[in-house]
Amino acid sequence: MRRLLGLVWEYRSRCLLVLVQQLLLVSIGLAILGFSGIGIDFIRFRLDPTANDPSWLFGIHPPASLSDMAILATIAAVVLGLAILHAALRLWATLSASRLAQTIIVDLRVRVYEKLQWLGFSYFDQNNSSSLINRVAGDVYAVRTFVDGVMVEMIIVFLSLVIYTAYMASIHVMLTFACLATTPLLWTLAIRFSRMIRPMYLETRERMDQMVRDVVENVQGVAVVKGCAQQKAQIEKFRQSNNHIREQQHEIFWRISMFQPTMGMLTHLNRAVLLGFGGYLVAQGQLPLGVGLVAFARLLQQFSEQVGQVTNIANRIQTSLAGAERVFQVLDAPIEIRSPAQPRHLIRSCGSVAFEGISFAYNQDRPVLEGIDFSIEPGQSVSIVGPTGSGKSTLLSLIPRLYDPTGGRVLIDGTDIRELHIDELRRHVSMVFQESFLFSNTVAANIAFGNPQATQQQTFEAAKLAAATPFITRLSDGFDTIIGEHGCDLSGGERQRIAIARALLMNSPILLLDDPTAAVDPETEHEILQAVDEAKHNRTTFLVTHRLSAIRRSDLVLVLLDGQVAQFGPPEELLDQDGYLRSLLSAQVEDLGGPLDERRLAFQN
Amino acid sequence: MSNVAPSITHLAKDEREIHQRPLDWKIINRLLRYTRPYAARRTWLLVIVVVRSLQLPALAATIAAAIKGPIQAGNSAGVTWAVVGFLALAVSTQIVAHFRQRLALELGESVVHDLRNELFAHLQRLQMKFYVSTKLGRIISRLTSDVENVRVGVQEVMFVAMVQSGQMLMAALFMLWYDWALFLVVLGLAPVLAGINHYFRRKLSKAHRAVQESFSRVTATLAESINGIRTTQAYGRQARNAELFRDLAEDHAGYHYEIASIHGRLLPLLDMNSHFFIAILLLLGGFRVLNPAIDASLGDLIGFFLMAGLFFSPLTMLGLLYTQALTSMAAAERVFGLLDTPPDWDDPPTAIDVPSVCGRVEFRNVSFEYLPGTQVLQNISLVAKPGQTVALVGHTGSGKTTVTNLVAKFYLPTSGVVMVDDRDLVQWKTKSWQQHLGIMVQHSFLFSGTVMENIRFSRPRASDREVHDVVEQLNCMDVFLRLPDGFQTQVGERGSNLSLGQRQLVCFARSLLTDPKVLILDEASSSVDTLTEMHIQQALRQLLKGRTSFVVAHRLSTIREADQILVLDEGQIVERGTHTELLANQGAYRELYHRFQGG
Repeated sequence: MRRLLGLVWEYRSRCLLVLVQQLLLVSIGLAILGFSGIGIDFIRFRLDPTANDPSWLFGIHPPASLSDMAILATIAAVVLGLAILHAALRLWATLSASRLAQTIIVDLRVRVYEKLQWLGFSYFDQNNSSSLINRVAGDVYAVRTFVDGVMVEMIIVFLSLVIYTAYMASIHVMLTFACLATTPLLWTLAIRFSRMIRPMYLETRERMDQMVRDVVENVQGVAVVKGCAQQKAQIEKFRQSNNHIREQQHEIFWRISMFQPTMGMLTHLNRAVLLGFGGYLVAQGQLPLGVGLVAFARLLQQFSEQVGQVTNIANRIQTSLAGAERVFQVLDAPIEIRSPAQPRHLIRSCGSVAFEGISFAYNQDRPVLEGIDFSIEPGQSVSIVGPTGSGKSTLLSLIPRLYDPTGGRVLIDGTDIRELHIDELRRHVSMVFQESFLFSNTVAANIAFGNPQATQQQTFEAAKLAAATPFITRLSDGFDTIIGEHGCDLSGGERQRIAIARALLMNSPILLLDDPTAAVDPETEHEILQAVDEAKHNRTTFLVTHRLSAIRRSDLVLVLLDGQVAQFGPPEELLDQDGYLRSLLSAQVEDLGGPLDERRLAFQN
Repeated sequence: MSNVAPSITHLAKDEREIHQRPLDWKIINRLLRYTRPYAARRTWLLVIVVVRSLQLPALAATIAAAIKGPIQAGNSAGVTWAVVGFLALAVSTQIVAHFRQRLALELGESVVHDLRNELFAHLQRLQMKFYVSTKLGRIISRLTSDVENVRVGVQEVMFVAMVQSGQMLMAALFMLWYDWALFLVVLGLAPVLAGINHYFRRKLSKAHRAVQESFSRVTATLAESINGIRTTQAYGRQARNAELFRDLAEDHAGYHYEIASIHGRLLPLLDMNSHFFIAILLLLGGFRVLNPAIDASLGDLIGFFLMAGLFFSPLTMLGLLYTQALTSMAAAERVFGLLDTPPDWDDPPTAIDVPSVCGRVEFRNVSFEYLPGTQVLQNISLVAKPGQTVALVGHTGSGKTTVTNLVAKFYLPTSGVVMVDDRDLVQWKTKSWQQHLGIMVQHSFLFSGTVMENIRFSRPRASDREVHDVVEQLNCMDVFLRLPDGFQTQVGERGSNLSLGQRQLVCFARSLLTDPKVLILDEASSSVDTLTEMHIQQALRQLLKGRTSFVVAHRLSTIREADQILVLDEGQIVERGTHTELLANQGAYRELYHRFQGG
């Protein structure tokens, strides 16, 4: 709440402008009303001299020399003039209100987005992506609403209610009270109703979401539904959830159609009071017809519109607070991985990497890596091997500081990576993930993602190195083809090759490949591994893999078991030892169906 | 590549569906047919609507009469009567309002409810071809936003338009009665007002669409930025992305500002119009009232003034309703378009139910094309004897999955015959055939819900005991019991709480539960860890035993143990035989096999 008020304060001058404009509008509106009333009264006075003399403004009587028509024309001209003023002011007011709202939204959006760009991986592990998207897309509206829809609006409503009441009271105090008597009732009814109906709407929404989810799953799993011949059961299930929605809706309809006419009745009641009491007063000559009764009728209407605003504001407070909480949660999340204040520079990185006593845990009670020590010379290639969950990917992600180790340190060319600027570090390390994310942009833009300044020539070369050129040139627009949603018109192997090209274009001395063949057909696997072999030249390379052929072609193998280094050394050496690598070998060989010796011969060719 | 503007993502432009279409009696008639089951409600609603269009002007007329009569005359008792009359009328108006609102809402909901049911049932009738060629988002919007637009059309457009035009007509009659000369002036104003309205509404709806489009750019960019955050950070693109996003957010804000400026011009103009009207009324009305030669009274003038409000406000409303009608029309057309999409084929009337199946599957000279002109399978002939396992191997795109799709009767062959137990599959009722079938798709699709619910999907009435038996049979009880909540573990969005291997096992159990005679298995190609892999291989052996199976194979163990291996290349069977036979052949299989092993 205090932070929200702080936000209002940030935009105070714009808020103030909107406020002043709105109050001016209310005043001009009243002036128009007053003059119209005077006009009516003037006509009545001329018709029936026994009626009250019109209450001229500031006691200025029109000069007697003017004819009746001239006076009427003057009044009409004043009304028209004021109307033009009102219209112009209103245009200006609408524009500044919109400018206020949009300024806040853009500021907030960019702030949240920028923050998200810098938050660590662990933050994204813990937060569901669609909820994060909503914060930038939807919740920022809620926060903005607090500024213009709650704070500014509240002041406007309050002041205009005061102005209306004062104006009405200046005409007739008792009549004002009589007409406004139902207002508190109107007010409480409206607030109670919206409190009652909101959870019901939420319920409907949930039921709708459920229904949509059913449909989505039926479409995505259509082969399963048909294959299991479950169409009938699914139709029945859908019918039920559809009926649920209808029932819930009917509940809501019943309440709405009770509430709204009731509210309408209260407004009519006010009118009846005005007609009765006001009519009586006019009949008794205690109230002018135009400035009094007719003006009152209009005022009453505007008053109840403003009262209606109060319920809206009450609702908005709730949503804006909930939204603000979600937005501030992002803005307040600590950035865990930061560059040091005075970063050191790598003069020229050759690509030696060392882990010293590294341990790491995602949550404190479950260590993922423990006591990892090893060092790699520049240009060497290392295969990292181990069962699922042994910490292979985690180990890789410590090198570009996607996470910071809980204990120990990672050195690149002898420098603790925490002493480097993050941008510099990440330029030195490029990475290919298990399943590569490609953006819905052109193939070329995707390859140049980490190096937007790359020339066309460099992009082509990177693609060629990654063995991606043949299929890219077959695409409809070659390098300018826009990759479809989630890259789904490319096969897994093709996407991985683009990702490898993307990594190669960074031209960094250290290359990390996290099981790049995990999600591709065996047929395409060897093509990717070929690209990897190309990429290994002149680079320190870390490769997570299960493939013996790839393991065999690396300089060193690091076997991880339960977060610890179980074996480390050249592959030929490790294959002779009794250990995980040997068992992996025999498991794969068994799968291949041949005796062990024969197999080993086969892949030494 | 240089002409592509820098952006984080790039949205394709083909996605826009038409937003409005002209009124079409055929569509309107068809929509009205959906109100037929609720004819009583609809008729009542019509009556009420007519009553209501009389009531609103009557209320204003009462006030005018009170002012003209007793109030001006100073008759207190008359004032009381007027108030009583007004209140009585008000109460009846509000009661009618209740029914008007409730009946309309209920009618709209009923139509929407029926439409949704019909749409879903129709979706279940449509075959694979439809699902492959239609985007999920489209199907969802038929059932959500389009149906909602139809609802507004049914419940609002027609009835509100009736109330509003009735009200306008009544107000016009009253005005004519109060002062015919002034009425003519007002009548002259009406087209001007309608014109202004129309002009700005058109601009507004264009601007709104621009806002929506730019918003979808914002959200699409956001979604990719967040889903791709790991890539962004690993490649150090944060600052550049933030910069690009600011441009996008500002661009989006610009469209909102555009809308505000249209509103800012339209609303004051409408307002001006009513103020302008007051000025005219004062001048002209005053002249007529004050001129003794003309018989006009002040009370009439005030009554006229009140009626003018009722006359003008429907103009704006009717404009809005017209726009909505066009939108509803476009939505209804799309909904009906889906309902009218014919299934690829219907079972012939002579098709038979199949109580039991032996499981002999034969392809006779089968060819198939998804799109005319591009043959995916050419002249395939094969026989799978009951209980045999047929492994399909070949490159991506060689037609392996298509063969299984034809066995499953997801498609009919373009030429040739697929026979089961020596009878053409076309002559079997599709649903009845699929009951004897077990299908495991490559991505191990799971529905949201628990593991138990997922296994039971194929046979919702199976008991816990039966499910457990099946799992025992697959020898993977321990895998399921080790899950956090055992069988009651929620599988999460598309099975995300389970590992790939676990998801496959759930799918195995789901298939085995119906004890199918014929199995289709598209093996997952992703690697799983060795322990799970062992489980899967064991379970697979159990599953395949005694069933005719077609396996799109990615596991060497599966291929090796198959009774028959079919090597496909570009839609043709290039080699067939057992593992040992084919290995001796020095052909395509041998080459493929070596790739599988070595990588």
